[in-house]
Amino acid sequence: MSTLNTLLLGFISIVLINNLVFTKFLGICPYLGVSGRIDMAFGMGMAVTFVVTLSGTLTWLIDHLILMRMGLEVTRYVCFILVIAGAVQLVEMYVRKFFPSLYESFGIFLPLITTNCAILGLCLFIHLWGIDNLPEAVVLSFGAGIGFTMAICIMAGIRENLNLADVPECLKGAPITLITAGLLTLAFMGFAGMIR
Amino acid sequence: MTKNSDTTAGIYKETLLAGLWRENPVFRLLLGMCPTLAVTAAVKPALTMGLSVIFVLVCSNIVVSLMRNLLKPHLRILMFTLTIATFVTIADLFLKAFQPEMSETLGPYVPLIIVNCIIICRAEACASKNNLLVSIIDAVGMGVGFTLTLCVLAGVRELLSTGMIFEAKVMPDWFVPWAAMSMPVGAFITLGLLLGLVNKLTKGKS
Amino acid sequence: MSKIKYFVQQSWLLIVSSFCFGLLLAIANAAWSPIIEQNRINKLNVLAGRLIPKAKDFVPLEELGVEIKVKLLKGEKKKVDVYKAVTGDECFGWTFNAVGPGFQDKIELIIAVDKDFKTIAGFDVLASNESPGTGDKIKEEDFRTQFKAKPAAKLEVIKSGEARDNKILAISGATISSEAVVKIINHYVKEVKEEMQRKGLIGNDKEQ
Repeated sequence: MSTLNTLLLGFISIVLINNLVFTKFLGICPYLGVSGRIDMAFGMGMAVTFVVTLSGTLTWLIDHLILMRMGLEVTRYVCFILVIAGAVQLVEMYVRKFFPSLYESFGIFLPLITTNCAILGLCLFIHLWGIDNLPEAVVLSFGAGIGFTMAICIMAGIRENLNLADVPECLKGAPITLITAGLLTLAFMGFAGMIR
Repeated sequence: MTKNSDTTAGIYKETLLAGLWRENPVFRLLLGMCPTLAVTAAVKPALTMGLSVIFVLVCSNIVVSLMRNLLKPHLRILMFTLTIATFVTIADLFLKAFQPEMSETLGPYVPLIIVNCIIICRAEACASKNNLLVSIIDAVGMGVGFTLTLCVLAGVRELLSTGMIFEAKVMPDWFVPWAAMSMPVGAFITLGLLLGLVNKLTKGKS
Repeated sequence: MSKIKYFVQQSWLLIVSSFCFGLLLAIANAAWSPIIEQNRINKLNVLAGRLIPKAKDFVPLEELGVEIKVKLLKGEKKKVDVYKAVTGDECFGWTFNAVGPGFQDKIELIIAVDKDFKTIAGFDVLASNESPGTGDKIKEEDFRTQFKAKPAAKLEVIKSGEARDNKILAISGATISSEAVVKIINHYVKEVKEEMQRKGLIGNDKEQ
């Protein structure tokens, strides 16, 4: 029961309280670039969720079963980034084969996921938080993906409406997106302290 | 780089200046946003971050430029990532050994340099096409441009959130610190407004 | 055979450079890891030394052949790094690392107690991510000195009044962060004390 509790709390905390986009500034690039349309944002979010779950789990396994046992911690970053690149490649092949239409609409975003900081960031945070059991690592990775999807979808929704708004000329595009994101982080700060 | 400058020195100067303003990675190309937002709560970590990025950028540009003729197209990105990851690890170890406090403040954002789009973008766009000298100059220009931007942003945020710059008090006594500026909110909004300001300035010129 | 040749042709650069990079990493690691380790020990010693100024050395309990495992706030049992604060042969107290949930992220503390686990000698924050301006005042002297010489029993958080006996005055605007710190300290002091009594490192309360 208590394990389940921990997992649930971990999930909620990574989705709402420690949301990677709003509190850790991870995954800002696609957040600014992609989130113009809500369906694209959702697709991107799903792709990231899949990759992050896969690579979060794999990097945890590699970290604990290989690197720490053999004292190869120094190669941790290299290994992590290679695992992520591999996972992205896998997803790309899978999507291209089975969902060609989805692949078309993703276009260049799929390979870009490799350099999405949210993914490497999560793998590093899992190590930093000292997560030492597999279920928790998996749940956290999945939660991070969901949190990212949520953030990017909220943002896309707002930006669809922003197109109709009268934004000062010099703030159009990225600046107003950043300011909106700032206001969203304020809103998300309300979740802090929810879990004790 | 395709532009015909009068002399080779002209090309070098052009390359150097491009990174500083015309193609400033943060303001103009919107690259490397994560560290820009995350480490700019104070000037000191921002400067450390900037220097680490310069180091990684220069080293990876050197390596990539040296082996640009040997690269196979489909293994290119893999080679870039491998190179960058190696130098980032070295930078991380160096910080841990000689700047332990800074290393702790920056935390995971040092290894996150690996996925900083600036570096892989410069490797792809510049170093894999140009000779060693141009690549180095480009790396220095871009790196310094990035560092300066980081420091400006951090300066504004540190000044408003604590009334200090470089941990030295500069604001008068009646100033009440805005704690919000050192939170994520401050980061997003300051960068948004700065970008707006830059847009406005460049618009006025052209 | 031609397949192997093709493979080598395509990837020799990758293989060679992997070796070079690996070598580079190994050299950097070999050169700097002792310094990194020393930094870590120094930091702990400096922090612990501030809490128990009389002690010169902080000996990890593993070196004495004892391992302390306690239940964490999260529920599972885990090893706690306990250090014995000594000068020569005389013991001045104990310090241990503790961790628990804060307002936003987890808070990591180093807690120091006297040699009988009767009073708290103080604490310091190793890592936290509390809101700037309010929650991160747990790092400040004003809040931390309250814990000095408090009984190593259940501490209580109050919002106003005087911080006497086992009462801790919360930071205004950051009650949750203050409560989180007190909760961590209460939990760890109790658990580590019980565990150490069981292991016979300190006397039982009743005997004294």
